[in-house]
Amino acid sequence: MIRFSAVAKRYPGGLEALRGVSLEVAEGEMVAVTGHSGAGKSTLLKLAAGLERATSGTVLVQGQNLGSLRESALAVLRRRIGFVFQDHKLLYDRSAFDNVALPLRISGFPREEAARRVRAALDKVGLLAREKAMPVALSGGEQQRLCIARAIVNRPMVLIADEPTGNLDAEYARAIVDLFASFHQVGVTVLLSTHDEASVARLRCRRVALAAGAVLEEAAA
Amino acid sequence: MTWLRLHLDAVGDALRRLAVQPFASLVSIAVLGVALALPVIAAVLMKSVGATAAGLDTEPHVSVYMALDAAPGDLRRVEDALRAQPDAAAVKFVSRAQALAELQSTTHLADVLASLDRNPLPDAFIVRMRTTEADRIAAAKAAWSRLPKVDQVAADFEWSERLARWARFGERVVLAIGLLLAGAVAFIVAHLIRLQVLTRRDEIEVSQLVGATAADVRRPFLYHGALEGLLAGAAALGLAALVAAWIGSELSALTPSYAAELKVVFLNPAERALLVGGAAALGLLGAWTAVALELRRFSGDR
Repeated sequence: MIRFSAVAKRYPGGLEALRGVSLEVAEGEMVAVTGHSGAGKSTLLKLAAGLERATSGTVLVQGQNLGSLRESALAVLRRRIGFVFQDHKLLYDRSAFDNVALPLRISGFPREEAARRVRAALDKVGLLAREKAMPVALSGGEQQRLCIARAIVNRPMVLIADEPTGNLDAEYARAIVDLFASFHQVGVTVLLSTHDEASVARLRCRRVALAAGAVLEEAAA
Repeated sequence: MTWLRLHLDAVGDALRRLAVQPFASLVSIAVLGVALALPVIAAVLMKSVGATAAGLDTEPHVSVYMALDAAPGDLRRVEDALRAQPDAAAVKFVSRAQALAELQSTTHLADVLASLDRNPLPDAFIVRMRTTEADRIAAAKAAWSRLPKVDQVAADFEWSERLARWARFGERVVLAIGLLLAGAVAFIVAHLIRLQVLTRRDEIEVSQLVGATAADVRRPFLYHGALEGLLAGAAALGLAALVAAWIGSELSALTPSYAAELKVVFLNPAERALLVGGAAALGLLGAWTAVALELRRFSGDR
């Protein structure tokens, strides 16, 4: 599903976030990327989602080489990948419902069908009752779940989450982890990053430890 | 269907943006409308002057002077040749005797003329021309001077040439002002759309993150710019019509004292459509430029 071959990423200014990472995530697999902040976790996830391009090496997603895709094709590919952002990236000028509906509006979904899918996604993350709420009125955990609802509303084959349990208290974090485990159980490929040992333990999945932009060790589930 | 839905969605988005800030939208459209109305009013005035000038007896006259030894047969042949020329509206023959009598009656040269032993004036044809085009008058003049027993051809088309030149000058001034103000409209729309893009920066960023292409991001802004241009074009049309009516009422009061009919000639339907369509195109151009510049900046951020 996702294959990294000797992928390096150097940001303008010289920061080398990844140095030759090779990694494979099989279809339906769940993988947790761990490591300290600055280890390159976020960069790895962004490259896998086509949010950034590799400096060298190849990133294959569903058989497509992201490096050779045009900007517009990369954007269309992003519609098939659900991404949960560390900083949520919610729009604060519109309701929870409209935030989740954004990806469907972009792909030009019929209104009724879109509304049905939005409510299904909100229901899955337990926010159906808050569809009219504005994001500022939601707690940190609820905002995180709203971001997850937006990521799954297109029914993606791959779900990528950057520190989904960061800044959440233990109980909230457990609920979020269980949510991802449930997506994994219905066949969605899940790739997430975390520095929270408790979450990784609870996920019981393969883990890839990054340090200074390289794979430090891999451990099976 | 998806394509249609995306476009309808973008139109709805653009309309909402205009409606959300009605005062700001009205002011922008008024500014654009006034900018467009200025050259339109100037063009209407030019058109009206042109129409009035066309109503005047502006055909120039060409005088064809015969040689003194021209025989009646020569006169007939030349007259036939003059009448055969399509640009000649009327041909009037002035005989040497007539010309002398006229000269004697209208000037104080009677004594001098009486002292001459023969009439020094030639037979002549006065041709009223159908055209004011200097080129065609010059062509007729050249052709006629080659006719047998024609001594001289004089055309007083200088004034008509001058009139044509003034008309060209006027048209060029209107065109220059029109182009400058059209440029101003594109720049103003670009600025307005740029402000819109900046206030919607978050929305654009998030949209791109969840799969919007550059075209998806651009679409509502393009409709917004085109709509603003369209409304500005309609406003300019209304403003120009008001001004034309105002000037026209004053002009019609003047009409009885002149033979020529003075009236304001407004834009015809095709010209109106061109104005509104052109304004929409300018809005589109401005929006495209603004979004292209801002979008490039976003992708540079990432």
